[in-house]
Amino acid sequence: MPLSHPFRLGLYLTAVVAVTLIHQPAVLLVLLAGILLLCGEGRGALALSAARPVIWILLLISAGYLLMGWLTEQAVLAALALINLRVLVIALLTAWMVRDTDLDLALARWPRARRWLVVVRGQMLLFRRLVQDYRQAQKSRASVPPTLRQRYLGSAAIGLAALDKGVHNAELVTLAMRSRGALDE
Amino acid sequence: MHIPDGLISPQTYLPALALAAPLWWWAGREFGRRVGDEALPRLAVFTALAFVLSSLMLPLPGGTSGHAIGVGLLALIFGPWVAFLGYTLVLLLQALVMGAGGITSLPVNALAMGFVGAWTAYLLFRLLGPLQAEFAVFVAVMISILLSALLVALVLGLQPLVAQAPDGSPRFFPFGWSVTLPAILLPHLFIGLAEAALTVVIWRHARKRRWLPAPVSSTA
Repeated sequence: MPLSHPFRLGLYLTAVVAVTLIHQPAVLLVLLAGILLLCGEGRGALALSAARPVIWILLLISAGYLLMGWLTEQAVLAALALINLRVLVIALLTAWMVRDTDLDLALARWPRARRWLVVVRGQMLLFRRLVQDYRQAQKSRASVPPTLRQRYLGSAAIGLAALDKGVHNAELVTLAMRSRGALDE
Repeated sequence: MHIPDGLISPQTYLPALALAAPLWWWAGREFGRRVGDEALPRLAVFTALAFVLSSLMLPLPGGTSGHAIGVGLLALIFGPWVAFLGYTLVLLLQALVMGAGGITSLPVNALAMGFVGAWTAYLLFRLLGPLQAEFAVFVAVMISILLSALLVALVLGLQPLVAQAPDGSPRFFPFGWSVTLPAILLPHLFIGLAEAALTVVIWRHARKRRWLPAPVSSTA
């Protein structure tokens, strides 16, 4: 039986908190394997998208702590395994939840939060689109990559243009909604 | 400077949640009072801008990442309560969409960057604004970033003291303050300078477009 989206969200939040209460690397390893097994098709891509944001932080912590352990002649491998596995399990749980849960449906009981989320997501898409447009336009017009100064100046220009466009667009949408009675005034 | 999930202990994030929850509730009340339907789209635009600014991250050896925040700008335009709530949404989206930060670390990240960052920027701007508005924006944002970074460094450095295994090995973040303070504060000194300059540019633009609320505009 498929689980409802609010239930999935609740389950995810409970699982994340529960994982921080587990301090045995072996249990976390079994959990990691279990999640990979349960998450179904596309598990490789899911594992990759989960690991990407945390991998550099984990590598830096692990390298630093290994060095410290070597200098002070302390055993650090068990602690490092615990920390790395815990972060990876939570990252994988989050990626799984994001892939299989519709947040709009999960937040159906909180309409204002849902509306804000929708508007912010819309603006993020708009910003992303503008940045892509700018980069492609810049690439197509230059035979050599831009200097750092050119990139900063370009970013400032596109940033302010995106801001103008975003505010203009958002105000237009609000006016259109009000004129159609959608704001319930 | 997001702290990822799994690096801070329940001994830290549960008290932080107990502190943040009533502040979120109060901020929600203030949000309902101050932000009408016509201001919500503009708030969404600036919230999205804060999201973009804080999404460009550089991993730091202190167990976190370096990036601009954008909460100072939100606080100067919409006030500290709305900025706190807006930045909490940014952190939540980053945790879910990008895997940066986390759910258990959300209260700590929101208090350090959203609450302290927003109130510091807002109060310093109110204090220094009458002298010279753009200087006030620069100093307010710079100090707010450093204060947020200091709090994140203190929380991370606290972990080996509050969550140890019986043999004394750390269960969560393994480094103490001697590592976290320099590793997080020094890069944020430069990030703070860059973000403060960027905020002045955007703030000047917002003033030109008459997006600032009346009391802030009159300070300028």
